Amino acid sequence: MSPLSAIPQTMYNFGSMPGTDAVRPSAMPTPGIDGTTPLGQPGEINPSQPAGDSFGSVLGKLVSDVNQKQTAANAAVDGLQSGSDVPLHQAVIAMEEANVSFQLMVEVRNKLLDSYQELMRMQI
Amino acid sequence: MIQPLSGIQNTVAALDAERTRLDVISENIANANTTHGVDGKPYQRKVVVFESAMQQAMGAGGNGSMTPQLHVARIDTDKRAPLEIYAPGNPDADARGMVATPNINIHEEMADLIAASRAFEANLAVVKNEKSMAMQTLSIGKH
Amino acid sequence: MIDGLFNNPSYLAAKKTLDAVAVRQEAIANNIANLETPGYKRVDLSPNFRAELDRAVSSGDAQQIDSLKPSLSVDTNAVAMSQDGNTVNLENEMMQLNQNTLAHTLETQMVSSLLMRLKMAITGKSS
Repeated sequence: MSPLSAIPQTMYNFGSMPGTDAVRPSAMPTPGIDGTTPLGQPGEINPSQPAGDSFGSVLGKLVSDVNQKQTAANAAVDGLQSGSDVPLHQAVIAMEEANVSFQLMVEVRNKLLDSYQELMRMQI
Repeated sequence: MIQPLSGIQNTVAALDAERTRLDVISENIANANTTHGVDGKPYQRKVVVFESAMQQAMGAGGNGSMTPQLHVARIDTDKRAPLEIYAPGNPDADARGMVATPNINIHEEMADLIAASRAFEANLAVVKNEKSMAMQTLSIGKH
Repeated sequence: MIDGLFNNPSYLAAKKTLDAVAVRQEAIANNIANLETPGYKRVDLSPNFRAELDRAVSSGDAQQIDSLKPSLSVDTNAVAMSQDGNTVNLENEMMQLNQNTLAHTLETQMVSSLLMRLKMAITGKSS
């Protein structure tokens, strides 16, 4: 299972626990991940939002921010390669920022999985 | 095509232009005593004329800055009249015994040579510098 | 959340200064290239960029820092060194080149160290 596809699954699992309001992947496909849904506003993920941000929406925003960073980095590298005047340092920095953001998302996903497994191991 | 070293188009043009200038100067020095050229006249000193046409070059960061584009406009011949020297024994001497020799002052040529070399080396230093800066940029976040 | 990682004013200022260093590098390269061009006036970074950046950094506003744009302009303070009106002084340009290179090294290291610190914090590994 690829790391990215684990995230909606994890969020769905959290959603089935009482007190959380996570995304149902079947009902609302996560933008940017499955490739077919265009990236929308982060608020669009949860139309029935309570007043405060739920954990699921925070995760959703994280994913969309990371996607934004990746898109920006791609655009910068494209600009550099096509010879149009993106300065070299801007392209390099954009790529590094995208890498760092992606690493953060992957670590968050790892921690979520670990804590989920920890929970599953708990004796009721 | 990808341009990792940005902003040095003028430097490349300048290196080219200074090389041309060095060539012209060495030609002048070599022909300092040519009294009888292909066209039968004494050698005319040549001069390189640099020009910079204002070009809408894109500056770093896309601010569309106007940077002048350098190029060698033309190689002119010096209009000064040839120096007349009294040398009746010379096969090129005219009726009065005067020989028309090229009006080339070696000291002037050497000064020009030094100036051209200096400019050439300065531009080389710019390219070297730009390259080391680019290498540094590429290692951002690596170590 | 991701924006919060990179909204540090000193990081943004370092990135902006890198932009300015790149613009300056181009200006110096152009000046040296036109060392022998008659009538050429030297160009440099716009003088008010420095003041604007200082103001934006002291205000601590990330948006303000990000919106700055360094640009080239003709240096009005330069005096003509030779009769043909060329205002480029080679020694001055070489010194500016060295200073600019050092500034580039400094800013690159600042940006790089922040990115590496982030990576360290995120992954827990030191490289």
